[in-house]
Amino acid sequence: MFEELLEDIAQKNGLREVNTYLKLVAGLGAILLCLASMSYLPPLFIALILTGAILLLAHVEVKTYAELFIVPLWFAIMSVAGIILISGGQEVFWSWDIMPGFALSITRESINEGVLVFCRIIGGMSAMIFIALTTPMTDLFIVFRQCRVPEVVIDLMMIIYRTIFILMDQVIQVYQAQVMRLGYSTWRESLYSFASLCGAVFIASWDAGEDLIRAMDARCYDGKFALLGENRPIERIPCIALGIFLLLAAAVVIVAGSTTIL
Amino acid sequence: MSSIILEARDVHYRYPRGMEAICGISFHIRKGEKIALVGPNGAGKSTLLKMFNGMIRPDSGLMLFDNQPIGYDTASLRMLRKRVGFVLQNPDRQIIAPTVYQDVAFGPTNLGYSEPEVKEAVTKALRHVGLEGFERRPPHQLSGGEKKRVAIAGVLSMDPDMLVLDEPTSGLDPSGSEDIMELLDELNQEGKTIIISTHNVELAYPWADRAMLMLGGTILEEDIPEVAFGNPEYVRKAHLSLPTLLELHSELQKRGFNFEGKKPRTVLDMMQCIETIVRNTRSPVRPGTITICNVDKANQQDVSGWFSLRPKVTVGAMGTRAKQHAENCRIKLDFTYGVIDKCILKALLGEDTLIMTTTSMVKRVTQRVDAYCQESGIRITVNHVVTIPEPANKEGGDLP
Repeated sequence: MFEELLEDIAQKNGLREVNTYLKLVAGLGAILLCLASMSYLPPLFIALILTGAILLLAHVEVKTYAELFIVPLWFAIMSVAGIILISGGQEVFWSWDIMPGFALSITRESINEGVLVFCRIIGGMSAMIFIALTTPMTDLFIVFRQCRVPEVVIDLMMIIYRTIFILMDQVIQVYQAQVMRLGYSTWRESLYSFASLCGAVFIASWDAGEDLIRAMDARCYDGKFALLGENRPIERIPCIALGIFLLLAAAVVIVAGSTTIL
Repeated sequence: MSSIILEARDVHYRYPRGMEAICGISFHIRKGEKIALVGPNGAGKSTLLKMFNGMIRPDSGLMLFDNQPIGYDTASLRMLRKRVGFVLQNPDRQIIAPTVYQDVAFGPTNLGYSEPEVKEAVTKALRHVGLEGFERRPPHQLSGGEKKRVAIAGVLSMDPDMLVLDEPTSGLDPSGSEDIMELLDELNQEGKTIIISTHNVELAYPWADRAMLMLGGTILEEDIPEVAFGNPEYVRKAHLSLPTLLELHSELQKRGFNFEGKKPRTVLDMMQCIETIVRNTRSPVRPGTITICNVDKANQQDVSGWFSLRPKVTVGAMGTRAKQHAENCRIKLDFTYGVIDKCILKALLGEDTLIMTTTSMVKRVTQRVDAYCQESGIRITVNHVVTIPEPANKEGGDLP
């Protein structure tokens, strides 16, 4: 249901009417700058601005945004902890020799690297979430076509996109029907129920596929999937804002150089 | 009488490894007719409907469209499907594209229209079903009624001569159902032949020109609704119920009330029947007037004067565009379906009413009122005056 939630937010967000390219350039540019930065500060700066844009311009609720952020944050914390413990360095703060030839240690260099990676993750994540929350799939299809992605691939993507929601409905219905009849009360029962859920959805998707062909045939299908709508025009203010954002972020990257936390 | 558009001659069909679904059906449908195919589950309604656009090929017998036998090669089927629009029962299965615009554009694109032509066809179709501004919405965010409208628009954009709808009102709330039936009426008024299948007797009874009762793959009865639904034995056999009005009529008749004329199809007809009996005992009221407002032409004058003279006037709107217009003008609607009849009923009580509608339906209103006046001998005045102030954002039509 989470996909549906994300897509629904994107369909209604405050930046919906902004040209898709501008939003993509903002997101992808931010990711590249995060990677290019050798200091932990610029990614944090980028994250701050994009978070502001998501909350204030796109009118996404703080709670939704926080929920989205927290799940991958746990992964980030765990991997950063690994990096800090495993990578070595000159100035050792703490170390533990587990066995000969393998030791865990915390050093100045490892902390610096860990913090840099962590901040890059935060910056990159905010950029990804920015794209996900402001650009619905339906707008991306237009961009794909303009970027010469093969028609077959786009057609397939569109059919899959549409079908996901239909199957999702089906899954929810079957699942609720099972829960109502205590389908998941015991572990054994859960196994059975899950198996029959998969079976039911498989059959449903088969049916849906046949109906899809019938529906397309009934409307004179001739190998052409529907035309796409048009992209929004590039307006001056968003364009200037994007320019300022990228320039500012690049400036911060250059100024910060390779400042480290310790 | 108009020419025959669709004909079946002794059609049989058996599903692979199944029982016979259609056992020898013959009928014909004329251009511009409204046909309701009524019957219980498993009567073969859907199967029969699918033959109309060549989705199912009969095992034996002949289907003719426009007096030509239906061909089952790809080219003929394309031509046929362009002219016969088919709306599936489940709009989720019919809507295939990720946005409303793309879905409605699907047919025209595949018919090889140019991009501006596609755009025009889509705009027109969406306007017809009252979904302007929904172009970029994904279908899974729409309500059941809106999805149904998108499905209908997807077919309308190909400008078919005939519309076939399988259970058009299933899963819709009563007012949503009435809206769809009204939309079908509007399309019919523009000359399209419309065939629906349904279980809903109450809905089909006043709507259809002719009804076909189906049972077990055969046509039990095929006639005007008063006759088709008037035979209690057939109705019981077909697992249906008598329309309430017909039942009331026959019960009253059994109790010695002598009704003249044809059987009632609407509450108005029923009132007429009753009025004729009690006329002598009641002092006649001077009937009120009905005023028609064509929202397509409503762009010059201020109507607030009109409204201030008649603060308690009852307002009804026919058609989605008229309803939208009323909403934009903040006019409170008293009637949104069955509008003409309800306004005549009001007029009989001596009250004035206003009907907001679109160009294509104006004639329909006058025809209906005239027909009623002729039948009942009561004179109801119909005015064509009012223009409604333009809403802030211009949504009304630009028609001449």
